Amino acid sequence: MAWSPPPTDVLLQLLGAPHQTELVSSALRLTTALLGKGARVQVWACGDATRLTWTGLGETKPRNYGDWDREYPSATRIVRELLTDHPDRLYWYVCAFCAEERGTADQIPQVRRRPMFKYAEHVAVAGKCLSLGVH
Amino acid sequence: MTDHLLVESGGAESGPACERFVGDAVRLLQDGHRVVLFLVENGVTAAVPGASPRVATFLRDGGELWVDTFSAAQRALPAEDLLPGSRLADMDEVADRLLEPRLRAVWH
Repeated sequence: MAWSPPPTDVLLQLLGAPHQTELVSSALRLTTALLGKGARVQVWACGDATRLTWTGLGETKPRNYGDWDREYPSATRIVRELLTDHPDRLYWYVCAFCAEERGTADQIPQVRRRPMFKYAEHVAVAGKCLSLGVH
Repeated sequence: MTDHLLVESGGAESGPACERFVGDAVRLLQDGHRVVLFLVENGVTAAVPGASPRVATFLRDGGELWVDTFSAAQRALPAEDLLPGSRLADMDEVADRLLEPRLRAVWH
């Protein structure tokens, strides 16, 4: 039987370039707030946002010359920890086409790569959809 | 009447799209819908008096203007520097509103 995405209250689609604006911060803040309310959330990452869960990012950001001993978690680690903390209420999907085009097909195991033509299935099982990063 | 949550993240300096988006919020109000306009990221600058004529119109027409507490603090914008009638709001409140069953939401 073919796999189908589990229903969620909200679908957040990340379309914008993640480091051009505060898109990632806002998306993660909203995701965390929704999870705090007991909601089920799915995130669909497209384009350069597929890099957020790329294994190549490692566990931490480059060291801060102004605060050498402080450790800053990478986006990959933040998302992985969120997924680990909410295994039945948070799902993170990566557009396989966008990831392969950008050389980021090697994703952390907690996320699921999906063909872009399956996106409609995710919309169909979401109570609400928000597309972030489009102006 | 439908409840709407419109999220503006760009602000006036991102170009005319912000004013057009707020214009949509004004039209929804004028059609009798309830609208919350949530300003986040650089969008919070639209709540500075004089920055966005349409945001002022939105408030005058009865819209609820929420300004993201975190984004405003990052830009050193205290509540007293924002349009009278606006209020600071946390992402928790946005989540609550977003989860209301019949609400429609758009992020710009």
